[in-house]
Amino acid sequence: MDHPSIFPEFESEEEDGAAAGDLLVPIEVTMPKLSPTMESGVLAQWLVKIGDQVKEGDILADIETDKATMPMKAYDDGVVALLDRAVGDEVKLGERVLVLAKKGEDPKKIAEQLGGAKAGAKASPAPAEAQAHANGTSANGQGSSVPAAAEEVPVSIGGRVKSSPLARKIAAASQVDLHGIRGSGPGGRVIRSDVEQFIQTRGKAPAAMPATAAPSRSVAAERIPHTRMRKTIAQRMVEAKKVAPEIHVTVDIRVDAIVAIREQLNKQLAPAKIKLSLSDFVTKAVALSLRRHPGVNASYEPDAIVRHGEVNVGIAVALDGGLIVPVLRNADVLGLREIRQGSEALAEAARSGKLTPEQLSGGTFTISNLGMYGVRQFDAILNLPEVAILAVAAAEKRPVVVGDTLTVGTIMTVTLTADHRAVDGAMAAEFLRTLKGLLEEPASMLL
Amino acid sequence: MPVLAFREALNQAMSEEMERDDRVFLMGEEVAEYDGAYKVSQGMLSRFGPRRVIDTPISEEGFAGIGIGAAMVGLRPIIEFMTFSFSLVAIDQIVNNAANVRYMSGGQFAVPIVFRGSSGMAGCLAATHSHRLEAWYAQIPGLTVVLPGTPADAKGLLKSAIRSDDPVVFIEHENLYGEKGEVPEGEHIVPIGKADIKRPGSDVTLITYSRSLKTTLAAAERLVDEGIDPEIIDLRTIRPLDIETLINSVVKTHRAVIIEEDWPYCGLGAGISDRITQAVFDELDAPIRRVASKDAPIPYNRAMEASMLPSVDRIVAQVKDVLYKK
Repeated sequence: MDHPSIFPEFESEEEDGAAAGDLLVPIEVTMPKLSPTMESGVLAQWLVKIGDQVKEGDILADIETDKATMPMKAYDDGVVALLDRAVGDEVKLGERVLVLAKKGEDPKKIAEQLGGAKAGAKASPAPAEAQAHANGTSANGQGSSVPAAAEEVPVSIGGRVKSSPLARKIAAASQVDLHGIRGSGPGGRVIRSDVEQFIQTRGKAPAAMPATAAPSRSVAAERIPHTRMRKTIAQRMVEAKKVAPEIHVTVDIRVDAIVAIREQLNKQLAPAKIKLSLSDFVTKAVALSLRRHPGVNASYEPDAIVRHGEVNVGIAVALDGGLIVPVLRNADVLGLREIRQGSEALAEAARSGKLTPEQLSGGTFTISNLGMYGVRQFDAILNLPEVAILAVAAAEKRPVVVGDTLTVGTIMTVTLTADHRAVDGAMAAEFLRTLKGLLEEPASMLL
Repeated sequence: MPVLAFREALNQAMSEEMERDDRVFLMGEEVAEYDGAYKVSQGMLSRFGPRRVIDTPISEEGFAGIGIGAAMVGLRPIIEFMTFSFSLVAIDQIVNNAANVRYMSGGQFAVPIVFRGSSGMAGCLAATHSHRLEAWYAQIPGLTVVLPGTPADAKGLLKSAIRSDDPVVFIEHENLYGEKGEVPEGEHIVPIGKADIKRPGSDVTLITYSRSLKTTLAAAERLVDEGIDPEIIDLRTIRPLDIETLINSVVKTHRAVIIEEDWPYCGLGAGISDRITQAVFDELDAPIRRVASKDAPIPYNRAMEASMLPSVDRIVAQVKDVLYKK
């Protein structure tokens, strides 16, 4: 032993440096950026195991990002020496996920050298913790990327809540989710007293309640742990409400002309099995309006407003337990047929979780349409950093005053939510006037 | 009950066992004519004669080996090392022969021998004479390793060690020889492999042995003043470990601090901590902490030597750490 290494840490009470082996330079594969906004990904499935020979381009694992489940590809050849993560683990961008041994390197030696020793390379959860997870006491994946809520949530590394084994045991027995408990131990570790205090102040979980406490008619509350998507939505909505002073400008649009044209066109398109929806006309008109009002087709940045060159319209798609906003690129130059087909493909990909990063990025404006639910009017929350979002309600027959005559017309109410940091009221109103004009006199869209 | 010094308790144990069993004899450097380097064998030469209380040259490997041979053919030797630091030159005999003869001979030979002597940091003995090698010996299957912390245990455990049919490494602490305490007269036997709860408590388990017991008891007074109720366990035997007593305690307190005079890396506390963690991981509310010697050679300088030792301050600090108290 070299002399200096006799004194690795003079003050240390605990274990000191272990012996180092030969220097190996394996390929450490880290969590890639698979969506433009992801800060971490959850390991959904391993597609390789230790000892597998991997070639460049092979798929190593499925990663659940904030947007979709994406394949993680190998960029090098090698033999899988070490899998750092277990299925369900949340891994921050840049943190190691697995290690490949290069040609001539001994995978076992590499696993020994790198296994668990590297900072940020957490081993899979200990059995007891896995047990706690299995009991449904804690969903994996606390969004450590939520800065706004950082003071509210326990400190977590790679999605784990730091907690003492005893705290986990007590939490599991009382069916308490550790994610909701603030840890008072070092580094935010949840310790026994935190769990006990939580149980005392919040009351026990339903299962632990005396049976007599619940009226017999009531249905037990259901606890649904946050999915990644839920957390992302929550984070982004809170962020928007917090930073952006928004204004809402509402306008009624008479869409009788569009309804007529749509009927006509759909007859022509029937053989091609294409059926235009009212939304497609709205998308088209919005895209054209955006081209004419670049101040609305923009992003707000701390030192500038960025007016985008492209008009890429995000279309909110409702999913089970969330929503997602795939992007229809260059919508201003697309025909109605292309808009229909593009929207359909995006919605389909969204529902099957197969959206690509490209389909999820680059949006410059968002449309949220609740018309199909018969909604009369609503306000949407901004999809930052975009400066505006359009809430589209149902087209419905309403009494309309034309000249001095009361008549019946098909009216659709739309509301623009705009970030007042970038868009003033007049600009929002002008945009809506253009939109209204295009939709009420569809022929002008041809100009 | 008579009050005896630790060295007197050891003397009583050896003398009583030599009275009881004429196969028992004592051999080592200065044990006879000089009455023992630390006067542990005072008066034994005149009482039992030179055939049973035998001075040796400075040749630890030689007389350890002679002891093992004598044990194999039916005697029950007590081999005294002036200090266990010197056992390093005899470690081949202890590990390869004493610990393994029963196994290697398929049970044809037993080695009923006691290796005993002083150890530890005892004030300006410097690096080569202050060794605490208990973790080395505790790792060896085939050895029993005993480290008494009180005069009563010194007597009771040494009698058990002499009666054991297998080799016992019996490590005393030089600084304890003058410690006084009540020691039962006559047939006082303390079983090997049984820890002693010196102070029951509910907040934290303090695990210790040998001289560190004294420091730990002193730390307990401070802790109690601060409203902390520690349970103190004197291991007494470190191989075999009384894991049952440790687990029962940790299940009660949910946290543990191990106080040991040996070095931290691969020290005894590391092994004990592992056993506890394996057994009752889910009961722990904090990582197990250790207060050991610092990771350096033992200095000659008195103040520096003192800084190496587990102290009341260091123990209190670690206890507060596992209790999450500032």
